[in-house]
Amino acid sequence: MTETIAGDTVGGAKLIGTADRRFPLDGLGLTLVIVALGVIFTLINPRFASVDNFLNILTQASTYIIVAMGMTFVIAKAGIDLSVGSMLALVTCVFFGFIDDGMAWGLALVIMFALGALLGAFNGILVAFLAVPALIATLGTMVAYRGLALLHSSGKLYYGLPLEIVWLGQGHIFGIPVPVVIAAVFVAFSWWLFNRTPFGVHCRAVGGNREAARLSGIRVSRIEVLVYTFSGICVTIGGLIWMARIDGTQATFGTAMEIHVIAATIIGGTSLFGGRGTIYGTLAGAILLTMLNNALVIAGVEFFWQLVAIGVIVVIAVTVNNIRENRITWLETLRVRRNQARNRSVARGSIA
Amino acid sequence: MSVAQDHPASEVPSSGERGRSQEGEEPPLLSVVGLEKSYGGLKAIDGVSLTIEKGEIVALVGDNGAGKSTLIKTICGALRPDAGDIFLRGKPVDFGSPKDATDAGIETVHQSLGLVDTLTVPENVFLGREETTRLFGLFPQLDLGKMRAETRKLLERFGISVPTLNEPVFRLSGGQRQTIAISRLLLSEPSLLIMDEPMAALGVDEGRRVLDLVVNLRDEGIAVLMISHNLEHVFQIADRIAVLKNGKLVGVVSTSDVSRESVVGMITMGVASIDPKRTDR
Ligand SMILES: Nc1ncnc2c1ncn2[C@@H]1O[C@H](COP(=O)(O)OP(=O)(O)OP(=O)(O)O)[C@@H](O)[C@H]1O
Ligand SMILES: [Mg+2]
Repeated sequence: MTETIAGDTVGGAKLIGTADRRFPLDGLGLTLVIVALGVIFTLINPRFASVDNFLNILTQASTYIIVAMGMTFVIAKAGIDLSVGSMLALVTCVFFGFIDDGMAWGLALVIMFALGALLGAFNGILVAFLAVPALIATLGTMVAYRGLALLHSSGKLYYGLPLEIVWLGQGHIFGIPVPVVIAAVFVAFSWWLFNRTPFGVHCRAVGGNREAARLSGIRVSRIEVLVYTFSGICVTIGGLIWMARIDGTQATFGTAMEIHVIAATIIGGTSLFGGRGTIYGTLAGAILLTMLNNALVIAGVEFFWQLVAIGVIVVIAVTVNNIRENRITWLETLRVRRNQARNRSVARGSIA
Repeated sequence: MSVAQDHPASEVPSSGERGRSQEGEEPPLLSVVGLEKSYGGLKAIDGVSLTIEKGEIVALVGDNGAGKSTLIKTICGALRPDAGDIFLRGKPVDFGSPKDATDAGIETVHQSLGLVDTLTVPENVFLGREETTRLFGLFPQLDLGKMRAETRKLLERFGISVPTLNEPVFRLSGGQRQTIAISRLLLSEPSLLIMDEPMAALGVDEGRRVLDLVVNLRDEGIAVLMISHNLEHVFQIADRIAVLKNGKLVGVVSTSDVSRESVVGMITMGVASIDPKRTDR
């Protein structure tokens, strides 16, 4: 993901030691974990290693991957979006409502995307212009959007989509499930947006140092609204695939989705402190979580224990990140003391 | 302190200055009149009036907490003044954001360094004004190659070396970071440069290069407002010196007319006189 260009050294200075280059390892380390887990699961249950199961995991992961792309931008901007699950329920219920009313699916789709963008933008407006902390703002809309979904559907279980839409969830392109293709294209797009466009840099700048970003002429509020809007659009795409895959929706769908998505993003190595993130890491994190889920289901572990497992993994992931960024001061102190002790004993040895 | 408050010089610009800006065919590049800014109950700047002409270096000096940074922040759009007016080439301006000021040709290096730790060197240098190409002729995309090449050129111009351009800048030294912040100034063609303690973190050689740069820019016709605690630097390059104390302008003097001692007197005692008979009062 990082490229070292020739002639990168200015003025002949030496390169910083490679041991110091921690950031690019995020994705690689996670990839190794995924492979290791895959081997372990296969040893336990040979069925795990099939191509079908692999595509199945990716299909299951597709919605999480896409929503987590938006979350990566939001968290890199030093924000958080707790409302993703509720937004997903609301936009899919509204879409289904229109379909049930006999609206053309193309028009319903346009309205669905506009609504997703609007719900996201509303989060952004709360954060940017009313200075509501993102955690509180999106906690509020998480409840409010869920309420709207329940109101709109009055508890109804929607089903029966037009075939064109069902294809988005259940079709195949050259043997690859359409959701996987959509997710792959969207990840590539997100990587480009995050690393290669002014918008991506501005998100990371606002997350890393809001005041410096402002003084550099970035319109911080605008970036803030755009970033939450992007999250809303990601949710809409993810929701579209989700409802197409199961050919139905309900106002309670997507409950606790925010936990999975935030977990995937953080496991991937995106800093909760803002300023940096990695698209590849998020992708790997989402796949890892789905894989784990899949394995737990195959092993017959209860749903409630799956939740416990995810909680534990998130805490471990954040801790690993903190160790890597030297944020845990007592650990750092311990390390320094040990080094000093070693140096002292070496010095004594040389005197003796 | 009492001397400063007794003295009327802070409210009224000296008659010489006012005359100059009215007689000249052109209005001054920048003039601020009666600028005020408070933080809560504290008046950080209090009725400051100042003009800067095209092609001159004005040094802004004063003790810690005198209000220097606050003054330049109100000029560059980072803070909105509570009262007072800012004129650019004789036209009143009201900057709602730093971007408005940048668009009007005012470039600023801030004291606390406007860098984002987690971004790379080129990303920082070009922050807010990225070089772009169009992907498929349509979507704006960073021109990283050009940004890196330009960054390398800028850094070489200041004679500093940075291990690699792709690292986040928090691994760099204070002086390297300072130089990166300063090099941002050269990306556009500003008419007014504002620098808040640009030399503070720099080594001897790097500092000299920045001084040379400032003088070169002045000779090209750019106006410079520079905050510095280093009177040696100030006397080396400044055309005029503005002294601030407790938020009030003690006075503005020509570098050629004053001794270092009288400037020190102005800074510490707030005596707005260059007349030796009055300084020993
Ligand atoms: N954001 C702020 N909130 C409250 N008070 C502030 C703020 N910034 C500055 N002040 C106060 O305003 C006064 C002027 O501060 P300012 O930063 O302008 O001083 P300065 O002349 O730049 O000092 P220095 O030489 O130390 O940089 C100080 O008393 C300071 O405590
Ligand atoms: Mg200051």
